[in-house]
Amino acid sequence: MIIRHATLAPALLWFIAPVFAQWINYPTPGTPRLPDGRPNLSAATPRTADYHPDLSGIWRLEPAPCAADSIQGCGGDYRGGPEFGNIGARLSGGLPYQPWAEEFVKNQAPDLGKNDPVAWCKPSGALRLLTYPPYRKIIQTPVVIVLLSERDVTYRQIFTDGRPLPKDPSPSWNGYSIGKWQEDTLVVESVGFRDGTWLDRRGSPMTEAAKMTEKFRRTNFGNLEIEVTVDDPKAYKRPWTIKLHQLLVPDTELLDYYCNDNEKDSAHAVGK
Amino acid sequence: MPILRIALSAALVCAPALAQWLNYPTPGIPRLPDGRPNLDGPAPRTADGRPDLSGLWEPVGPANSSFVGNTARDPQFADVAKEVKGGLPFQPWSANLLKARLAADSKDDPDSKCLPLGPIKMHLHPYPRRIIQMPGLLVILFERDTTYRQIFTDGRPLPEDPQPGFNGYSTGKWDYDTLVVETIGIKDGTWLDVRGTPLTSAAKITERFRRPTFGKLQIDITVDDPKAYTKPWSIHVDQTFAADTDLLEFVCLENEKDQAHLNGGIR
Repeated sequence: MIIRHATLAPALLWFIAPVFAQWINYPTPGTPRLPDGRPNLSAATPRTADYHPDLSGIWRLEPAPCAADSIQGCGGDYRGGPEFGNIGARLSGGLPYQPWAEEFVKNQAPDLGKNDPVAWCKPSGALRLLTYPPYRKIIQTPVVIVLLSERDVTYRQIFTDGRPLPKDPSPSWNGYSIGKWQEDTLVVESVGFRDGTWLDRRGSPMTEAAKMTEKFRRTNFGNLEIEVTVDDPKAYKRPWTIKLHQLLVPDTELLDYYCNDNEKDSAHAVGK
Repeated sequence: MPILRIALSAALVCAPALAQWLNYPTPGIPRLPDGRPNLDGPAPRTADGRPDLSGLWEPVGPANSSFVGNTARDPQFADVAKEVKGGLPFQPWSANLLKARLAADSKDDPDSKCLPLGPIKMHLHPYPRRIIQMPGLLVILFERDTTYRQIFTDGRPLPEDPQPGFNGYSTGKWDYDTLVVETIGIKDGTWLDVRGTPLTSAAKITERFRRPTFGKLQIDITVDDPKAYTKPWSIHVDQTFAADTDLLEFVCLENEKDQAHLNGGIR
């Protein structure tokens, strides 16, 4: 009997361990699981009480194959997708820059990204928030969908309460977004961006003339497809469309990442 | 004539929809016959019968409180001990630290360096915040620096060894109609107010959220920080529902020109 209890004690400890471990290992409640306890990422798309797909979860952009990933490298916790470096990376023929925009991007290369707003802890803007290597969490309610970004502990709201887009929005980094469900696709329209937004590390610009349409589709439990169309006639000759494939990250949480906390880099930024 | 009437009334109906988004009427809130929000009705409830704390909230100060722009300021934002009888039970070192911060005109306030304020000072910040309550999670979106705080209500325990952060780690449980939130893991160096009242990583914060009417949110906060204080102490924060408006994008570092001119009283 004593021996049996002795073997039980370590088993209990083992079972309890994850609960007391670091909070980023806390199992995400409501996640479908395989018999061995691992998350079943090919399970069906979850649905809300009103039967829309539930986009809620923590997501990361599908990383690039290692060799193509020149910006982030292959190591580290946060492998980026190629769109973080070049939002048109997987667009055949590249982005249809207007001449001034092409010149602008060309001029950034020798400056090694020192004019990038995020190098100065400015917001990334709505689109770049979807390509940033740190994770993002979507929370969905019937009237608003919110993206919480680990990068700089910031958020973006998408109103789904039927309101129209504003006629004369206050220009901002995130713009103003409304979403409507079309069958199982959430179609989000955004206006009200500000001039001076960078869409990627190379400096692909976005201006306040931009209109962005995003189509969110959660194809199963572990996969979220976001098709993004940017229509910015000031910076691009024609609208362009990219796909940002996001993968669910289970059993973790967003960490506090404050760009401006103990920031020592910007003073050392070099360039031409 | 009928055509004209239809045209006019259609224009009237459309007008708010096309106006600035700050004036968009908040959907789903109770209204008086004249259309104004009825803030005295009962608090809304979620499907599971709990009070729903969701909504846009602003701090309320006393009638004579000062203002930031057009937003009323709770005097506890400047001095968290304003309503604490007998003052705060400082440890000697923390009393001295506050004195030194005051002597330097609070120039090292994390707020003036565009750093996060932590959960208590964020409750008192004049700019509005939106609470979103869902099963298992409550999120507060703050206008100030477009940042958020998560409070887990899915039954998880507090972590044993949390990563110290500006917001700490928060879990909440319902006690009848009160959401009781416990927070640990706040990092050293946190300021609780503009004066510089200190908080250390030893702190445990308990917040009790109550929504007694549609328009009122009450937060009782107890700070138990044995490193900085000889005993726990409590404050009360009142917030009011902000109808027919929304959060603006406020980015502290945007065109920031102030820090370079903070000289700590050297004139």
